[in-house]
Amino acid sequence: MRLLAILPYAFFEWCENTALGTWLQQAMWGFAIIETIHIMALAVLLGTMIVVDLRLLGVGLKKLPTQELSGLLAPWFWTSLAIMIVSGACLFTGEAIKLGKSAPFAYKMLFLLTALVIHLTIHRRAIASGLDGLVLSKTAAWLSIACWLGIALAGRAIAFL
Amino acid sequence: MHLVDLFQWLNESAVSVWLREGEWQFPIIETIHILGLGLSVGTILWVDLRLIGFVTTRHRVSEIVGPLEPWAMTGFAVMFVSGLLLFLAEPMKCFTTLSFQLKAIMLVLAGLNVWYFHTKVYPSVAEWDDAAVAPWRAKMVGVVSMFLWFGIIIAGRWTAYL
Repeated sequence: MRLLAILPYAFFEWCENTALGTWLQQAMWGFAIIETIHIMALAVLLGTMIVVDLRLLGVGLKKLPTQELSGLLAPWFWTSLAIMIVSGACLFTGEAIKLGKSAPFAYKMLFLLTALVIHLTIHRRAIASGLDGLVLSKTAAWLSIACWLGIALAGRAIAFL
Repeated sequence: MHLVDLFQWLNESAVSVWLREGEWQFPIIETIHILGLGLSVGTILWVDLRLIGFVTTRHRVSEIVGPLEPWAMTGFAVMFVSGLLLFLAEPMKCFTTLSFQLKAIMLVLAGLNVWYFHTKVYPSVAEWDDAAVAPWRAKMVGVVSMFLWFGIIIAGRWTAYL
């Protein structure tokens, strides 16, 4: 499975030929800096996910109601997600064609899409129901963890495969 | 014997070679190390932010620190073990790379920061548990911790480039 099977080659070529893409291909440190930002935002994003998912599983910050906890962390979640998407898009222009051919990258995008859908549906309902330890909460938490693990693993695999 | 000889010896040891040249060992251990970030830094982040006063300020400090610290400690244990194995895979590269040297120094400082927090700051928490704004020493621990952990992450990533 690769993105090149879905999107035209011209799109990936265009991405690589943008000013940003060209700059990233030429200046290695530019890529490293944006990637570093990507990783720091990842740490924060994973942080919001792990605390909320642990809460849904009935552990961690048990004294805080799920909705309140989720509400407090929401700005951190959305901000770090936004930074990850923007920095990710920038990194993409640096090696668009390679990523278009990469199976792990296609899976990473699929996991990301799934994660966002789960987060906006089942996960949101589980949090709103406020009753941790129920089947819905546990399912939502494990699905969320599985998705973000999948994104991270697939992301790492890009370099190896 | 100089330190460099020790690292050279480590580098040539059977364990090091096995870790370094195997097909799956390094990628899997490295992946565990990166994912462990979520559990370690991902939980201690909220402890630090509470100490600084940026998040969950309506809740007691102890109610944030207490439940999250065991998870953070578990995460750091995972990071330590996987990190040690990664180090053993390439001792000479780590020894001679500036970014890893900085990472090692920051790790030691982070450890000292935790020790300082638990011996000099946290024992008096009952006095400032309810405060949205913690005493300056507690805030300082939070700020230093965040700087160090993100510095460690950055240095770790740059080790791969240099």
